[in-house]
Amino acid sequence: MSSDLGVSSDVDGGPASPDAGEQPGFFSRPGGKIFLIWLVLTAIGVVLGLFAPKHLFPEMLSKQGDTAVTTVVVFTVLAAPVAGLIYAVAAYSLFAWRHWGGQGSSPPEDGPPLRGNTPLTISWLVVTSLLCIVLLVWGLTALASDARTAPNALQVDVTGQQWLWTFRYPGTGVESRDLVLPVNRAVEFDVTSVDVTHGFWALSLGVQVDANPGEVTTIDATPNKVGKFVIRCSQLCGLYHAFMYASGAVVTPAQFDQWLQSQGASATSAEQDAEVHPAARAGGGSVEEG
Amino acid sequence: MDDTADQDPVAGGEASPAKPLGIIVTFVVFVAVVALVITLLSLHAYRSPAGVEVAKPIGTTTVGGVTVPHVTLSMATYPDAAGTSDGAPVHPGGNPSWPSYGHTNQFQVPAHALVTVTVTQYDSGGSLNNPWFAIVQGTVGDVMSVDGRTVHSLDPNDVAHTFTVRGSPGTDPGFFLNVPLPAVGGNDQSDNGPHHTVVFSFMSGSKGLYVWNCEYPCGTGVAGFGGPMSIFGYMSGYLHVV
Repeated sequence: MSSDLGVSSDVDGGPASPDAGEQPGFFSRPGGKIFLIWLVLTAIGVVLGLFAPKHLFPEMLSKQGDTAVTTVVVFTVLAAPVAGLIYAVAAYSLFAWRHWGGQGSSPPEDGPPLRGNTPLTISWLVVTSLLCIVLLVWGLTALASDARTAPNALQVDVTGQQWLWTFRYPGTGVESRDLVLPVNRAVEFDVTSVDVTHGFWALSLGVQVDANPGEVTTIDATPNKVGKFVIRCSQLCGLYHAFMYASGAVVTPAQFDQWLQSQGASATSAEQDAEVHPAARAGGGSVEEG
Repeated sequence: MDDTADQDPVAGGEASPAKPLGIIVTFVVFVAVVALVITLLSLHAYRSPAGVEVAKPIGTTTVGGVTVPHVTLSMATYPDAAGTSDGAPVHPGGNPSWPSYGHTNQFQVPAHALVTVTVTQYDSGGSLNNPWFAIVQGTVGDVMSVDGRTVHSLDPNDVAHTFTVRGSPGTDPGFFLNVPLPAVGGNDQSDNGPHHTVVFSFMSGSKGLYVWNCEYPCGTGVAGFGGPMSIFGYMSGYLHVV
């Protein structure tokens, strides 16, 4: 293939042919043209990888969200040369080496198969292995979180049901369909479902995990900016899946305490009412506490 | 190779010239067909056999010092969608043995008005998946009247259905209404059959299309959310706020 590309002798430093002096320049030959296309596509990919994510993602409100965006940027930049090479070879092959037909012509035979190029094989294996290892280490590091070890981590029980999210704050007697979090405090989300599989997806927090019936899955986040965000369901869960969303907000600790108190007041009234309907208390769960 | 090529049926063939017009026409026809199918599906999804019930105006009232229109709506919940009630089909073409709201699943109310709803509930019930839905939320005072008695919540193990309305980002995201309906002992949907009369009032939100559904697992299949719970028109519908 290298001889077909016309880059072998120059790039690999191979012996020049007798009429080497009359050969076109590197960038006039197929290999050079592919190299140029690769350069352009790689540059486009790198620029897009560096700048597009900031415009495609909403404002991130947590350390994990920032990490997610950085991961997308790094992965895109690292993938750009590989994707660029594939697209460059494909595009050049499609247009330059296409058999255009015509009277009396026939498609050329395939070129000789590539065999026995040990340096190329080793280079390709080493480069791709290194890329995979870098991506793996980066991903595992990004997934690691210190929220579970934080002594003052806030626990929030997240319940998905068709077609609504509810959020309980254990120890406070509060259950709400809005998710309110204090800034700069680690949060542990204990996510489950009471019917089918849902997907707890708070993009601005960098959080996405399935809510499985009968199972509790834990995921962490540490909000680091005050702001509002939206929680959606990321698993197709039925008729009103498209309407299964909730509002979220990261507020100051004082505002969070105030919000809890306001919810606690309504919870108190609910509990008083539950005394009128004792079975509601026996029902446990949110009615009992909420 | 040349000899082989000469015998190749491809060899010597005239290459087909590009036909951009044909490609464009094919693409346009494809898009048109897809658009037609989506439109028909959308129209079908919005259609209610019994049409839209428009709230009846009964005057004005004052809420929080502001005078607003006051309208009324009535609806009912039945154990048999294929049956009749008050001389009219519960759900024209409805599936027998499926519960259903009736006589329609679409309601229209004015924006920013006080809406008083009367629900006649004929169906039996059971336990909610989440007891949170046994709490009345979003009504005036977060209460409702059940057979003349004011309550704030029900026994979550004895609920027949709920009337749960939520806003969406395109309407009023903060709007939320949840009214649990108490179960009755039987499934007699005749006018004289056992039933509960539930009355509640709420302030309608901004103009837009709101969705409502039942949160009691009264359907079939997984978690009781199949059948009537997963097909539009039985235990779900639209609230048109105009």
